[in-house]
Amino acid sequence: MNAEQPVLEAHALAKRYGRRTWALTGIDLAIPQGGITALVGPNAAGKSTLIKTWIGFERPTRGGVTVAGIDPWKDRSGVLAVTGYVPQSPALYDGLTVADHVDLAVQLRPTFDRAYARQRLDELGIPADQGAKSLSGGQQAQVALALALGTRARILLLDEPLASLDPLARREFLHVLTDAVRSDGATALLSSHIVTDVEQACDRLVVLGVGKVLLHDTVAAGLASHWIATDGAAAPGGEAIGSFAGPGSERLTLIRHAVAVAAANLRAATLEEVVLGYLASGRGKPGEAAA
Amino acid sequence: MRRIGSWLILSFRMHRWEVVASAAGVAILAAVMLWFAWQMRTLAATDPECLDPRAYAPGCTQLGQRFYELSSKAEWLSYLSWGTPFGMGLVLGVPLVSREIEQRTASIAWTLSRSRVRWLVQRVAFLALVLIGLLLVIAIAGEVLASAQMPSLHLDRDFAWYGRRGGLIVVRGLASLGIGVLVGAWLGRVMPALLVAAFASVLIFSGISLGMDRWMEGDAVAQPFDADRAGGRQLGQRVLLPSGELIDNAELQRRGLSYEAIVNDQLYAKPEDIGHLGRLIGYDRYLVVPGSLYSQIALRESGVVGATALLLALASAVLVGRRRPG
Repeated sequence: MNAEQPVLEAHALAKRYGRRTWALTGIDLAIPQGGITALVGPNAAGKSTLIKTWIGFERPTRGGVTVAGIDPWKDRSGVLAVTGYVPQSPALYDGLTVADHVDLAVQLRPTFDRAYARQRLDELGIPADQGAKSLSGGQQAQVALALALGTRARILLLDEPLASLDPLARREFLHVLTDAVRSDGATALLSSHIVTDVEQACDRLVVLGVGKVLLHDTVAAGLASHWIATDGAAAPGGEAIGSFAGPGSERLTLIRHAVAVAAANLRAATLEEVVLGYLASGRGKPGEAAA
Repeated sequence: MRRIGSWLILSFRMHRWEVVASAAGVAILAAVMLWFAWQMRTLAATDPECLDPRAYAPGCTQLGQRFYELSSKAEWLSYLSWGTPFGMGLVLGVPLVSREIEQRTASIAWTLSRSRVRWLVQRVAFLALVLIGLLLVIAIAGEVLASAQMPSLHLDRDFAWYGRRGGLIVVRGLASLGIGVLVGAWLGRVMPALLVAAFASVLIFSGISLGMDRWMEGDAVAQPFDADRAGGRQLGQRVLLPSGELIDNAELQRRGLSYEAIVNDQLYAKPEDIGHLGRLIGYDRYLVVPGSLYSQIALRESGVVGATALLLALASAVLVGRRRPG
């Protein structure tokens, strides 16, 4: 596959549950090869649905998706061959030990790299003979990640694996993930609603709000091109994205401006503010494609 | 070999409780059945003449009474062996997919395995092996108990305890496993699936039973009331018309023929018609499948139930292939 060719694509993707509930409302997205892309958005933004569509768990209502150029609904086996998946809450088999989980992975996927997965778990000090039931939440997430990494897949889809972890466990998880992705040259898509974690680990950022993409850019470019205005300040030539309440209940406005600007009541935005500004822009307007 | 060993160990650990509970249940039931068989055989060996229903031997009262007591309890045990395949099939089959969905392990298993069908085959194969092994024990124990309880019968040519002994028990277990897997995969919740699967089992097996009875009618013979039906399977009553046509009561009513008097198998519309052969409606007959066809009929039903099990497995594979993991 061409290095420039996106590995994860969505074209006019819409997904409806039941008769009325739209989880996604026209997603166009192309995630390039390499690095970690954060998929950020509030609850019910459609993050899980988007990831599940890529892994072949959900069928698009309209539009389509591809993984490494393969349509998961037409060739799920082909997609699974190049994809590793970590689910939202890493549910492991209660009756199995950590080593059993690795053995099970080998049984299910003959190409599974047992030594690599075991090495990852050993480095974290997770005993192979410990029952999955007695592992902490962080350890369970690490086992799920080791199982995904052991597939040696080029693409990793991680569906909010950090949601139930404490800060230390989150940091360890992200450390293992970034290390693995960078050493293997893989592409990872990590969905999360914890922006500070994303900032540490991710190269790219996709902000998803009520079923649509609000922003898709590199983290560096996103930080460089967004500003925060207080007290209604304006940046000539800039585009006001959205307003939200600041920590002191003051009104903050996110402004997109291609070049650095120097003005009173105007400062560089943090990544969290970039995300909040875009989420504020998408609030209450479902169905519009903002990006 | 190592792969097979690993598969067996992991599969056992994933279904530890169902397998242990099933094995314990079978061990207890088989042990009790064999104990009763042994007791009855010992009694029969003491004085075989006492158990011959055609002969009255003085001094047999106590032995006969003891044999009768054991025999009636053995009858109850045979009903347990009849129900075991249905219960065990559901207990093993329902959690297979539904628990994976309920506990969200399906999302890991279904992404690690590139084929869900392959995953399902691996899991079902283990449970099917366990089920076949355990139910074979019950099937054999049923034969042993039946031969001890009915020492004078040739059980390979007799419908006595039909479905409560022999290979049909094993095949019914496999079909029940198929129902459990399918309903579990459909509902994705263990307890509701168990209830629905139990209900579905009643419907499916009743349907098969009715269908098999219909099929057997072609092999049945119409016998008078006092004919020797030893070893045969009675399918129901029929009326033999003077024309030679054999019809059931529903058809008789449809033709406006009703009878109020029966004398020596002869049916008359009214008591005053008795003896007037010209007013004879017909003869009371029993439709009986001869005992000599037992093996053939049991094999035929095993084939039908086995085919049903295969269809259920196929439907489960299709459903699992299309289903969300949770």
